[in-house]
Amino acid sequence: MTKRALITGVAGQDGTYLTQLLLGKGYEVYGVTGPYPGGFAETVAHNAGRVFWLDADLTDMKSLLAAVDASRPDEVYNFAAQSSVGSSWTEAIATTEVNAVGVLRMLEALRQLRPDARFFQASSAEMFGNSAEMPQRETTPLHPRSPYAASKTYAFHIVGSYRESYGMHASSGIMFNHESPLRGLHFVTRKITDGAVRCKLDLASELRLGNLDAKRDWGFAGDYVEAIWLMLQQEQPDDYVVASGQAHTVREFCDAAFSYLGLDYTEFVKVDPAFFRPVDVNIFYGDATKARRVLGWEPNVGFEELVEMMVDADMERLSPQA
Amino acid sequence: MSRKALITGITGQDGSYLAELLLGKGYEVYGLVRRAATPSTERINHILDRLTLITGEMTDQTSLIDAVEKSQADEVYNLAAQSFVGDSWTVPVSTGDVDGLGVTRILEAVRRVKPEARFYQAATSEMYGKVHEVPQTESTPFHPRSPYGVAKVYGFFITQNYRESYGMYAANGILFNHESPRRGLEFVTRKITDRVARIKLGHADNLHLGNLESQRDWGFAGDYVEGMWRILQAAGPDDYVLATGETHSVREFCEVAFSHVGLDYQDHVVVDPQFVRPAEVELLLGSPAKAKEKLGWVPEVSFRELVEMMVDADVERLSR
Repeated sequence: MTKRALITGVAGQDGTYLTQLLLGKGYEVYGVTGPYPGGFAETVAHNAGRVFWLDADLTDMKSLLAAVDASRPDEVYNFAAQSSVGSSWTEAIATTEVNAVGVLRMLEALRQLRPDARFFQASSAEMFGNSAEMPQRETTPLHPRSPYAASKTYAFHIVGSYRESYGMHASSGIMFNHESPLRGLHFVTRKITDGAVRCKLDLASELRLGNLDAKRDWGFAGDYVEAIWLMLQQEQPDDYVVASGQAHTVREFCDAAFSYLGLDYTEFVKVDPAFFRPVDVNIFYGDATKARRVLGWEPNVGFEELVEMMVDADMERLSPQA
Repeated sequence: MSRKALITGITGQDGSYLAELLLGKGYEVYGLVRRAATPSTERINHILDRLTLITGEMTDQTSLIDAVEKSQADEVYNLAAQSFVGDSWTVPVSTGDVDGLGVTRILEAVRRVKPEARFYQAATSEMYGKVHEVPQTESTPFHPRSPYGVAKVYGFFITQNYRESYGMYAANGILFNHESPRRGLEFVTRKITDRVARIKLGHADNLHLGNLESQRDWGFAGDYVEGMWRILQAAGPDDYVLATGETHSVREFCEVAFSHVGLDYQDHVVVDPQFVRPAEVELLLGSPAKAKEKLGWVPEVSFRELVEMMVDADVERLSR
């Protein structure tokens, strides 16, 4: 029988890659676009006719019950979130409403209507904050350092609590940064590839960034949704770190993007304190040993390849049409 | 000029003891109370004429901004919460809204109106849940096992976060169980002492309880509010465990309570699976070493004294 999946945040980067993966596997995909689908018009249009659209909002319990009732899902993937760490200081309440209590609402909707459905929560490596342990794994203590991270920590814990208390098949993927040509322009990686291409095409003369020495573990979103799907195919629910295991600085990302275009990043990149966060997490890289061992997951796209893929896509998008 | 304090949850056990303590120290005390058809002020009726009550809710941002504005508090104690672990499975969303998000709302109110005010967040040993080490200290990782514990972990981290991000004086007290004659009847300790008094007075025969082997670190609420106040008097904001450092089982609590009125608990206590929680926390035992060293805080009332104080109060109340 055809499996049914319900995806929140379906029009975002991860939602889009997962939709492709699940459609390829023959799933019926129900997508929740939420109240602000405007920014994702492209991906929505791309999947039009292949996805059943549902209008629901993580801050509205009734709409979630209706979405679960309409889709009768076997698997639920919760990607919907206010996903910008930086904005979470100015929008602390709204971030928590969606990212934290919203997850609880979805779990409650499932517990009441579809308790056997398998649930995936997009947890975030930001939860580790300035944790002393390096690399970070499933057992590393959490020390969130932003309202975003605190809200994601709430969600992570409530998923564990519903799994333990009600025996629900609820799992968290502790996702390290994962990028792609579909990454939103407010994320630093996409901002760099977009900016580098603009510099190359003389559409811009500089690229202003925050802390160039911030280190992150960046992987390819297309690889990461494969791990996410695998988590829900396991007999037992569990939490998994999904990471490349390699840390690179923002500076290295700039270097890779600009040199791929034959440019020297130091001539274009300007450090602007306005982009510094009130507190930043400094080094970040994950140990995905458990995901590799238990799920048999293996990322395919390396750092250079990822940067180049993103630059190519932005070049194609921004190049004057021949 | 007298110092001003704003207490959310002033009608609760801790709020009432803290209000007494602060009045005794010459503070002007403001309390946030929920609008209700029947106000539940029984724990503060005896000091009501010395308090200024402000209507507001942890779920309503505007009311919190107003409360900080009106009180111009130098110290804000956030004690308001849906505080019963068991109910947090029944009302998980509102527990998250009040106990989790409510903390962000009050922090935002303080940050906007009175950013130099000192802020105390009532964190809890329930955050340790499935404990990673015994005893638990300020650096023990959290593993909450109830919607209540999960919301409180969020409240803890967001408090730390406002301290780190904005340089606010925001501190957490990780309080282990603290009881008193003013403890709500839904809590196991008070449920026991209330029932012991009723059985003693011939109004009841049995006491139905969940897991008798549950171990808790129980102290006296009057001692703990002293710890809260000291946390806000320290030179800098920090997080502290407040605990007795010893644990006792529900069984021992029953033993002491029943024998204080000359009864044998085994004749009256019935184990009822309905009261066993979906996921039970393990050995909660706090280390108050840091609070002792940095704040000079030491709890004064012993376990036995606490149980007997509670039984005596219930016997007196029910004999009237």
